[in-house]
Amino acid sequence: MPTNLLVTLQFLTSLILILPFAGFIGLLGVGRQVAKIGAVSLTGTGLVLSIWLAMQAPTTPVSLWVNWATLSGSAFSVSFRLDSLAMLMLVLVHVVALLVQIYSISYLHNEPKLSRYFAYLQLFVGAMLGIVLAGNLIVLYAFWELVGLASYLLIGFWSYKPEASRAATKAFLMNRIGDAGFLIGILLTYRFFNTTELSTLTIATGTTSLPTLAGLCLFMGCVGKSAQFPLLTWLPDAMEGPTPVSALLHAATMVAAGIFLLARIHPLLSPAALLVVAIVGTITTLWGGYSALFQNDIKKVLAFSTVSQLGLMVAGMGTGNVSGALFHLLTHAFFKAGLFLSAGAVIHAVHTQDMRQMGGLRKTLPVTFIIYISCTAALAGLPFFSGFLSKEAILSGAFFWAGHQSSGLAYLLPCLLLLSSGLTALYMARQLQLVFAGNYRHNDRPVANLHEPDALMRIPMLLLAVLSIAFWFSFNPFSAHESWFFQVFPVVAINLHGPLWLAPASIALVVLGGWMGFRKTEAWLMTPDSFWVRLSAEYGFLDQFYSWLIIKPLQNLENSFVYQVEQQVVDKAVRAVGIGTVILAHIVYSIDRLVVDGIINGGVWLAGRVGQLTRLVQNGRVQSYVSAAVVGLLLLLWWLL
Amino acid sequence: MILSLLIFLPLVGSLIIALLPDNQHVPYKWIALGVAIAELLLSTVAYVQFNQAQIGYQLLEQTDWITLSMGNLGIASIDYLVGVDGISLPLVVLSAIVLLAGVVSSWSIDDRPRAYFSLYLLLTGTIMGCFVALDFFLFFLFFEFMLLPMYFLIGLWGGPRREYASIKFFLYTLFGSVLILLVMIGLYLSVMDPVSTAVVAGLVTEPALADGDIIRIIQAQLADFRLNPAQIVHTFDLRYMADGANYLPNSFLSLTGETTALGMPSRMLAFWAVFIGFAIKLPVVPFHTWLPDAHVEAPTPVSVVLAGVLLKIGGYGFLRIAWGLFPDGGAEYARVLAGLGTLSIVYGGLNALAQNDLKKMIAYSSVSHMGFVLLGVASLTAEGINGAIYQMVSHGILSAMLFLIAGVIYDRTHDRRIDSYRGLLQPMPRYATLTAVAFFGSLGLPGFSGFVGELFTLMGSFQSLWLPGWITAVAVLGIVLAAAYLLWTLQRMFFGPTWTRHDDQIVLTDLTAREKLLLVPLGLLALVLGLFPNLIFNLSSATVAQWLARFSVE
Repeated sequence: MPTNLLVTLQFLTSLILILPFAGFIGLLGVGRQVAKIGAVSLTGTGLVLSIWLAMQAPTTPVSLWVNWATLSGSAFSVSFRLDSLAMLMLVLVHVVALLVQIYSISYLHNEPKLSRYFAYLQLFVGAMLGIVLAGNLIVLYAFWELVGLASYLLIGFWSYKPEASRAATKAFLMNRIGDAGFLIGILLTYRFFNTTELSTLTIATGTTSLPTLAGLCLFMGCVGKSAQFPLLTWLPDAMEGPTPVSALLHAATMVAAGIFLLARIHPLLSPAALLVVAIVGTITTLWGGYSALFQNDIKKVLAFSTVSQLGLMVAGMGTGNVSGALFHLLTHAFFKAGLFLSAGAVIHAVHTQDMRQMGGLRKTLPVTFIIYISCTAALAGLPFFSGFLSKEAILSGAFFWAGHQSSGLAYLLPCLLLLSSGLTALYMARQLQLVFAGNYRHNDRPVANLHEPDALMRIPMLLLAVLSIAFWFSFNPFSAHESWFFQVFPVVAINLHGPLWLAPASIALVVLGGWMGFRKTEAWLMTPDSFWVRLSAEYGFLDQFYSWLIIKPLQNLENSFVYQVEQQVVDKAVRAVGIGTVILAHIVYSIDRLVVDGIINGGVWLAGRVGQLTRLVQNGRVQSYVSAAVVGLLLLLWWLL
Repeated sequence: MILSLLIFLPLVGSLIIALLPDNQHVPYKWIALGVAIAELLLSTVAYVQFNQAQIGYQLLEQTDWITLSMGNLGIASIDYLVGVDGISLPLVVLSAIVLLAGVVSSWSIDDRPRAYFSLYLLLTGTIMGCFVALDFFLFFLFFEFMLLPMYFLIGLWGGPRREYASIKFFLYTLFGSVLILLVMIGLYLSVMDPVSTAVVAGLVTEPALADGDIIRIIQAQLADFRLNPAQIVHTFDLRYMADGANYLPNSFLSLTGETTALGMPSRMLAFWAVFIGFAIKLPVVPFHTWLPDAHVEAPTPVSVVLAGVLLKIGGYGFLRIAWGLFPDGGAEYARVLAGLGTLSIVYGGLNALAQNDLKKMIAYSSVSHMGFVLLGVASLTAEGINGAIYQMVSHGILSAMLFLIAGVIYDRTHDRRIDSYRGLLQPMPRYATLTAVAFFGSLGLPGFSGFVGELFTLMGSFQSLWLPGWITAVAVLGIVLAAAYLLWTLQRMFFGPTWTRHDDQIVLTDLTAREKLLLVPLGLLALVLGLFPNLIFNLSSATVAQWLARFSVE
């Protein structure tokens, strides 16, 4: 690569990273107009630069680094790396972030702290770009934590709402649990390979992979950020943030980070670790899909569908299909952002998130309805939509993987994944039915007040809906492996020509699920309160379990076991020593007064008597000699004894 | 000259304030502020003059203080000897910063200001003395003398249970001092000053001529019992104590280790004695129970100095004395010591989670964060030790900030209970913002200094050849706990609808200019250190590499 080009690429890469952080600091104190225009133009500039970088398509990764910490014998640098995966993510993050910010201008037009909102969004974007560009795991971890901070600030943006601040804390803490594992994984990686540079690690792992346990520690990071089982309950609560934030968080800037991480560390994982990854992903898919089934909050259905789709991607990674999983990450980002923005438009119109109060909106919000339909089709995996292609890619890879495992049990995983796509169609059909079909049910807000979103909101929604069509990704809408995506990101050691029956079977399942979902609206509204419904609505009682395990004990903190130990054992022991010393001192003092001093006094007294006796005989001076002698003798005795 | 000024300027200032008439028009606090600013300038000069590439002590000053012939027991020599290396210099600069912050936050003290500021400057001088003294006797003198102002500052200006807290603090630390004193005497009897001994033995005519060869000769003579015991000059010089060749064979603490006491080699016993002495200061669980009481009762500036600087003397003592003079002990018991570090991290974190008193929560968080220092030191790796030094500086800044934050709310309502407040964000947005900065810095958010300290201590302890991985893995729990107790506090105190127990009488005003002047620079400092950790590592890494050389022999 010519030096000039290299320098330009390095400069632009750092510029892309600096822009949003400059935006974060710069936008904190400015006025509303400046904040809107500033945020959109910063992200717009970033998008243009990213596209330009992607068009240059450097064959070798561009890297840049600055020295950060130097110890004798080891040096740690802040290094960045621009390769094809990073460029894909750069474009993806910028596209979604730009559309979300344009949408936000209209959606949050009444928000008093608008500049702060845009500043936080810039931080969110910047942190995500840092993850994408990170050249070593420590840098990746640093930006990883910043994503946590940004999500904390945005989920808790309406901090006067107690639920919002609670959800923000919950999100950060659950992520922290995953991050602790991730940090252990990074430090173990450093221990084994003496570096965390991704470029060196990929070479090093040509011969050896990380021990399974260390690899699983790294995977913990993904479990937290990408809301995998069992750390998934923060994601539905994160809905307390403004809806555009949800769109960003679910598509590009947070949950995607876990999948991206898996793509980066994939070569480090041992086969056993990958098996665990695949199993966790499959469990998450089903758990999320089932939990979405009986939610009544429009955003919570979408949240659990994200959980489910992320599970699918993780399962794809676990079955060795990195490119397939990334493909689904890409397609999912567009249609899921589209769904959230459309849901925002619905909420904007009806002023509630409860689907039981909606209904019949196809008549009042026709544009939103069409956008919703096309994004839903992509999510459910209908042919001619993008989701179909990427799901096929993951499922074919999974069947291929199962065919190469020693045990036939391995086929259980792809079969369950296939089942989950039927589940997706079912809950999305239910949602469409409740929101758009039937009659309008909200009593407090008359139909006349409902209006379609304005252009600033509608255009981003439309663009995302357009991007959920299969055509953009493959000219043959039935064949995933013909997509350009797999030209750029070729699959390794796997092939995507799934069994012939796979496509018809998955279409059949989607149709079946959809057919079951399109029951009468009344039937969904009259759902009996059975155990199975509650199991879904309470997402498998996972939060209740955590509450019993952690929150309940915390509520009674003053009586917590450790503090009791502190108060009753440690501090008491210290006090006992103190009091014991004082008692001992009193005993010693008594001995001193009664025994030692007594002897002395007795001696002096005796000497006095003797003196008086001698005075009878001699003149006065002798008594002092005698008493001195006696005292001296006593002292001598005491010394010797 | 600089280091002596660092010690004596505040001592003289203290004396001057004490001699001034007791009158409310006398600007005691301005004198204290002037001294504190001068201290910061002096320490900055020391930082600039320090040659980062050079190994060993720098800015040395040495004066004979006491020389005494003791017949067959040899010759006693106590020197006024000060100097800094990469371990102590960062702590000197930290002390200057935190002590200046302490003066500024003492601005509203109007109860007996003369005594207060006089004691405060006395404390300043003894702290500086502790960090720069290279003669064990001199170190011990400062170490002991530090207790006096601290005792009175807590006992006279403290909260309702101040007597209990100050006595507890005093006795606890004194107990540690006794252990250190015993070891100091043992060391003194076991170590020779090779330079002076060479002069006394007639190898050279004056100390300046005693070069490396001469020292090797005299050390060889010592090892072969060829020196007349009456000619051996005993010393408190920490530089000589750190060199195994200066230990008298067959002495109580000789390296061959045949002497035993209480059923264990006497060197190991001595190691544990100094370890406990400094572990009380750090503090290490289970020697920590003085800390929450002292903090809760101490006035804000004293808490700031206590957490920001005094605890670091514990960590400094580990590096300079416990591990520095008894490397065999540090290596032998690495697992137990790292285990104690991990215990402190997790136990302190769990206790912090259980607190309703803001200051007590921060006090226990200090226990947890200082646990990382012990873990890093115990790892005996470059990452771990440098990380431990860094963590001390980082915690010094962040804990100072945290206690100032607790002081802000206490000043307004005289109530530190976390559950007395909700939604403080609305009436006090700047206070909330700076609290969030301090909390996120403390919980180890990358970009702030807390992250670097934790990262490197943990990395070091994973790298360590002495430690099993699970000890570190458990310690990582500490970062989850830190996020839990800090964010939970943030959520309870600052978010939600505004409510306090004190609605009617008290107006919750946002930060004053003086409070901002304190908190903003400290926050920025934590950020700068977090972004540029080499500001500290450049000082410490060469010294630490040399320090570690002793352990690779094992």
